[in-house]
Parts: sequence; structure tokens; C-alpha cells
Amino acid sequence: MTGTTRLAPGVAMERLAELGAPHDPRAYRVDGLEPLVALAPETPEAVAEALAVCAAAGLVVIPWGGGRQMGLGNLPERYDVALDVRSLSAITHYEPDDLTIAVQAGRSIASLSSELAAHGQMLPIEAADPERVTIGGLVATGIGCPRRFGYGSLRDLIIGITVALPDGTLARGGGIVVKNVSGYDMMRLHFGALGSLGVIIQANFKVLPAPEAQRTLLLSFRESDQSAAAALTLRTSQLAPTALVVLAPPVAKRLADLERWVLAARCEGPEGAVERQVERLRASVETASGESVVLDDRKTLAFWSSVQGELEATPFDRELRVRIGELPSRLGELAAQLERRYGSALRSLVLDSGSGLAYVTVSGEPVELRAFWGELRELGRHATLLGAPIEVKAGEDVFGRHPEGIPVMRRLKETFDPERILNRGRFIAHL
Amino acid sequence: MDRATIRSRLVEIVGSDGVLDDPEELLVYEYDASDEVFAGHHRPDFAVLPRTAEQVSAVVRLANEFGIPVVPRGAGTGLAGGALALRGGIVVVVTRMNRILEVNEQDGYAIVEPGVINLELTQALQPRGYFFAPDPASQRACTIGGNVGNNSGGPHCLKYGVTTNHILGLEVVLPDGERIWTGGPVPETPGVDLTGVLVGSEGTLGIVTKVMVRLTRLPEAVSVLLAAFPNIESASHATSAIIAAGMLPAALEMMDQLTIKAVEDAFHAGYPREAGAVLLVELDGLQEIVAENTSRVAELCRQHGAWEVRVARTKEERDLLWLGRKSAFGAMGRLAPNYYLVDTTVPRTKLPATMRRVEELSREYRLSIANVFHAGDGNLHPLVLFDRQRPGEVERVLECTTEILRYCVDAGGTLSGEHGIGFEKRDYMTLVFTTEDLCAMAGLKRSFDPRELFNPEKVLPTGFRCGEVAALRQQAIAQRLGLEYV
Repeated sequence: MTGTTRLAPGVAMERLAELGAPHDPRAYRVDGLEPLVALAPETPEAVAEALAVCAAAGLVVIPWGGGRQMGLGNLPERYDVALDVRSLSAITHYEPDDLTIAVQAGRSIASLSSELAAHGQMLPIEAADPERVTIGGLVATGIGCPRRFGYGSLRDLIIGITVALPDGTLARGGGIVVKNVSGYDMMRLHFGALGSLGVIIQANFKVLPAPEAQRTLLLSFRESDQSAAAALTLRTSQLAPTALVVLAPPVAKRLADLERWVLAARCEGPEGAVERQVERLRASVETASGESVVLDDRKTLAFWSSVQGELEATPFDRELRVRIGELPSRLGELAAQLERRYGSALRSLVLDSGSGLAYVTVSGEPVELRAFWGELRELGRHATLLGAPIEVKAGEDVFGRHPEGIPVMRRLKETFDPERILNRGRFIAHL
Repeated sequence: MDRATIRSRLVEIVGSDGVLDDPEELLVYEYDASDEVFAGHHRPDFAVLPRTAEQVSAVVRLANEFGIPVVPRGAGTGLAGGALALRGGIVVVVTRMNRILEVNEQDGYAIVEPGVINLELTQALQPRGYFFAPDPASQRACTIGGNVGNNSGGPHCLKYGVTTNHILGLEVVLPDGERIWTGGPVPETPGVDLTGVLVGSEGTLGIVTKVMVRLTRLPEAVSVLLAAFPNIESASHATSAIIAAGMLPAALEMMDQLTIKAVEDAFHAGYPREAGAVLLVELDGLQEIVAENTSRVAELCRQHGAWEVRVARTKEERDLLWLGRKSAFGAMGRLAPNYYLVDTTVPRTKLPATMRRVEELSREYRLSIANVFHAGDGNLHPLVLFDRQRPGEVERVLECTTEILRYCVDAGGTLSGEHGIGFEKRDYMTLVFTTEDLCAMAGLKRSFDPRELFNPEKVLPTGFRCGEVAALRQQAIAQRLGLEYV
């Protein structure tokens, strides 16, 4: 770089006010911190320019979608500006016959899904609060749902991206075609990077035909290892369920009014085929099963939406939620271990047996929760703290044990956000 | 340091049988499967054939120490000049790293070395009830490492997605020689998705030394049908109708009349010679769904003008129907001494218009163009036939293919669906991307490879200067903010 611009914070605030309608900062608290200012730019260009202003003034920005998953991330080092992107909510391109859609970051999942449903299509995503969760939020956090087993996650479906960078530019990657190897995969650079390298403006996806029918088969088991073994049987069969989860007794009671451990298998497809698929799934694990329930289309949607509520990142006062990545074949053992260790403190435990993730929620006093996180972060292949009281998060890296490649991630941060104005300290290794 | 010393250091690392620097031995590494007429010959100083990841790392450290360019290479089947040593240096050939290290069916992954051949992996997995879904046309020869580098596609991408959807993790040697694992067997590894970034980076960010691939369960049932249409337009409409009906075939391939004739002459696959276009549709999945969808597809094809629909009844019949498609490039030798294979993608709804434009260009440039392509996902492969001995013909081919690319990009498509940008298409990147887009990509490259020693002069176009662009942008911003730019 050959030159720099420096901007006094006061001047910067004036410029920012020109770039987006000011909102009440109290509605944008993150981990107890309140920004100096909250604004909602109405164009992608205004978002980019707001970032340039902040970079010139050294103001730290937290991008904001529905605010639903703000429990994810380390405590912010500093927080000056909330950048609300919900005004950017257009579908900028949708050609149902091409199975592709381009949608701005601030659009809610509910609104996107209903647009797709009108054309018999879908993105296989779930949200506990789809009116609030935004597509930008899902891309930035990378939080998925159990249906990835059947359809892949949003990561597999994203085909293009536009981001606003702290240098004031809008940069695109990919495109609107389903096969594209032109240039670097900027989509996956930003997917799950928690808005630490750029603010997501728009994402393009390939969409899928919506299934004609869906059913969910619920099977209950006395012991965790029986349910996990059954899950593994279905996982490796050719019967092609689209999602497979195991619910621990307290969750099963809450979500399905069933006692004991419950294996839930989602089936999607043509009406008659789904019926037969449910029967074949039931038959393949019949001997180990106690009772079984089949949820119809409507109940299936409600059930999986409430499952998602157990998986999302969320701030807690007296609970701790951790996502542990572990091989599907070892999830049963992990569940038994968690059950033994936490007993009645175990508020929720959901095993995404299709993919190999365990979501555990435990309750306790902050000092206990801190100890629990210390234990949980060492389990499995990786562990991420999805929600906890502020005092538990303090001084911790919620992304757990660091994977290899942190030096590269650090250089990426230095390249794309040299002033560290985006989500300062909130991403892995406090980048 | 002189050449002899570097040679001896390389020999220390990989042994004397792993270092080639004799011009005759290097000949095979001077080009890849891209057309020499367009890509030329580029001789590396050394070709090195390591057997282990440790050796790759040591070679890269040595190269880094002396500022020598490094070019990763698999089987050399790339079609975009991605494995060419444009600045000389060391070509690291991974073909000796060809072991399947682990297969874990229960957890759905395998770990393989980068030199494993694509088809050999699937053949090893099939008896266990699984396969590796990405299946480029070159799958009998291409390596998994190359597939990762180019994010390769193939006919089955329509349903199963491209290579990036099937790579769970990578062991990679970075340009500074450090060896790291990215990703893993379970999703949502914290941090930046380095696996996702490395796949398709064409060897410009690192050398893959181990690949963790996702295993895909073999479907319970498979059905293949062939439909003969009077022309490409009607076949394109049938394609759209199948997708609009909510079906997602495993593959949906089209061939035009020129291709059908060439294939029939060469391989006798049993395609109707009088057809203006042939559609090959593969459906897979649960038995009941496949059976139902096969009848629906057949009906839709007839509704859109297919005068013959043939459903294969046995595996042998299925293989025969596929034979023609898989042999199509090889059959082109019957039509002309040379062909230039264009790889481009348009939104599927733009297929009929694009095909009409290709036909116009064929007439305009007096060049025969055969078409065989992935109709389901709009990935076109016009094969421009020519004879390089004829004066002026090469130039005409270049102009014609540039026009095709330009048209496709304007139609909302892109430069490459599955072959990559490499050296061949890097200067076309400005057709698709703005300077800002390209500078962001250059920033990604710089974060991995600040010295620009890794597969240099690939992917990004020549002659654009991000520093200057950034300065101009900052000046503009300063001006808008009413500040002095210093």
C-alpha cells in the first residue's frame, strides 16, 4: 500500500450516519457489550463504504443479521459499530428451471423458503426461528442441520458469493452456475468464517426439488448404545434417510413426548416411496426397538425445527452448549460417557448420527460450567462452545483446541482485514 | 547455488531414481493434456518424484530456500495447462504416492495418497458397497490429487456435486514447507475452511499429500435410458422438463448429430444415427423411486419429441449406452486431425440459445464443431475441429473459441465448469471478474504463498496490479470523505 487515510472517530461517526439509518444500539448487544452506533445501510455499496470509513477510523464492526446466533464467538475485544444488513434482503436472481438462486444476506430463512416452495423447490436448511435467522447469518456461522446427511450442507450448495471488504470494495467469487471452476473458491473462504474476513452481502445457491412427501420415523431404545447402534445400521444402509439423530431422554420427552433414547430418521421423496421407505427402515432395526411412531409431513417439519433449537448457538445464563465433532461410530460411546458424567445436569443431548456431531447442553453455576467446558473441549475430534454465560466465555477460545493451519488463517486475516475491524477477537484464536 | 548442488540436495531427499533433469527425461513433463498449439512447451529444471509427504515437504523447503518455483503435478491429464512449468523450477510429480491408506465404511471416509487413480479408488470401494462420486472423463488416468487441484467434475455431478463436495480433509504441504491437516472426517471443524479453499486452487496454494475423501453408498437401483430427438433444441426442452418435474437424475448427458455419427463409426454403441441429438439419462436411488422416475422421464422425453426411448435392461446394456458417451472424445479423430475442447458453463435455460450461437459461430469461422456435454448442469463442451497444418486455422480456432466463451459469460455462465483456468484461460478471467474480485483472489493467494513460487502464472491474469488498484481506491475513498490522501 502506498498511502493511508486516517479519520477522527467523530468525523467517522458523521460519515456513517450518512450511510445508513441509525438504529437503537441497545438492540445490538453482543456478550453484554453495546455498540456506540448501530446502522442499517440499504445498498451493498453503502456497506462497503461504511467498512472503509470504520477501517480509516479504527472502529470495530460487528455485522448483524437476525441476531439469533450471537452466542457463537469469543467475547469481542471491542465493539463500536453494529452493521445491520437486514435491509439487504432481495432475491437478486432466481431461475427455477436452472435450480439456482441469488439472495442477499439479510433475507430471512422463512421468506426465502416460501419463495422457493412456491416453485416446488427448497434449500435443505432448518432454523428454530426461521423468521429471524438470515441467510447471511447461516453462511457466516456455517451452522448446519442434520439434513446435511441426505443433501449436503449449505457449504455444499453455495455457488457464488459477494462480500464487502474493509478496504471499501465489493468482491465476488463463483457465479450463478452449478459447475464452476473459474478462480479461487471465495465462497468457502467466507463460509463459517464468522464475518471475520468480510461482510457477506449476497450468496448464490443451487437449490433442490422439494420432496413430495416427508415422514419421520421415531424409534425408542432403553440404552444410548442401542440407539447409536441402530443409527449406525441405518447410516450405512442403502435406505437413504435424509437425516438421522439420536435424542437423549430429556430431549426426547420435550420434543416428541417419548421416554428413553429416541432415534429419529427423516424420509423424503415421492409419497408412496416414502411410505415404503419408512417400513423398510423400521424393519431393518426392528429387533432392537421398543416402540415406534411415524410423524406426518406437518409434524415432521415441526419436529425438525424444534430439534434445530437444540443445536443452534445461543447466549445462556446458566447453561452451556457445546458441539463436539466425533466419528459416527463413536457417538454412542461419547453419549454414554456424557450421560455418566453429567447425569441430571444434562439438559439436552442430540447426536447428529448422519454427520458425526454431538450437541450437549449442561446446566450449572458459572464456576461449574467453566469446569465442564474445560472437560468438553478435550472430547472428540473438535469441540466448539455454542453458548454460555459471559463469565464462562471470558478468557476462553470458544473454538476449543486449535486445528492445524492457524498461521495461514492469521495471514488471511492480516490480508483481508489488516486493521482488525471485523468481529475483533471473536473468531478462532481471537483473530 | 548452482544446479548441480540443487540436484544433489534433491537426490538426498528423494533418491537418485526420483530426480529427473535430463532433457529427454523431462520431455514428458514439458506439457500436459492441454493443446500444445495453444499452451506450448515449458521445460522444468527438475522433475521430482517423491514417495512420502515428508519428502514433498523437504523438496518444498529446499525450493523455498533458493527461491525456485514449484509446480505440483498428477497424471498430467489436465486440459488447461495447469501443470506447466512456466518459469521452470521443480515439478513435483505425485504419481508414486499411490496408496489407499485407510477405508472406513462405518464413518464414510477413506484416506488416500494423491497419486491414486480416480477409477482405481472406485474399483477398490465397489466391493464394499461404496464409490467415489466425482468421475471426470479421464477417470481411468487422472489422479485424486489432480481432481482436488482442479475441483474436477464429470457426468455424475448433476446429482452428486463436484469434487469439493466429496473432500473431507487434506494433508497439504504449504509453500513454506510446513505440512498440515485441514478439515477431517466430521463436519464443522472450527476455523477458516482451508479444505474448501484448497480444493480447486490448481496447485497454487500448496501440494496435497493425503486426501480424505467422502465415500458414497452405491445406490440400491440404477437405470439408464437413451432418448433420440430430432434436434438439440427439443432435447434441451426435455432436459428442462425433467428437472422442472422435480427429478434429479444422477446424469443427464447430450450428444449432437456430429458426435453420434463419429461415435457410431468408431464404437458401434447402438445410437440411432439419424438422431439430431441423443439424451442419455441415468437415474439412481431407492428401487421404487428409480422405477417410477424412469417411466416419468421416458414419458417427458416422448412429449418433447423423442421418437425413440430405450431403457437398458441389464448392466451390460447400461454399459453399452454409456460407452458412446465416454468414448466421444476419442472418436473425434475420425472427423479431424485436431480438436480444441472448450469447457464452459451456462445456466441450463440458456442452453438452446447458446447452442444456436455455437452453430452460427461454426458457420462464421468455417469450423466444424461437435457437441457432447453435461446438459443437466449446463456444462458445455464444444469440440472445435481443425487441422493445425493448415495455415491460419489455429488463429481461427482461437478467435472462435474466444467468441464462444464471451457469449457464455454474457449469458450468465462462466469460463470453466470442470477443467480449470490454469495457464490457458487466465487472461479470460477479466471477462468474468472485476479488478476488485481478482484482487481479493490475489489476496488469498498471497496469504498462502507470499513469494509467488507456487505454480506461478496460473489462474490469475497477467498484468493486473492490486497495489495500484488499492491505492486508487483509497484515494477515491479519501476524496469522498474529504480527506487528504498521503
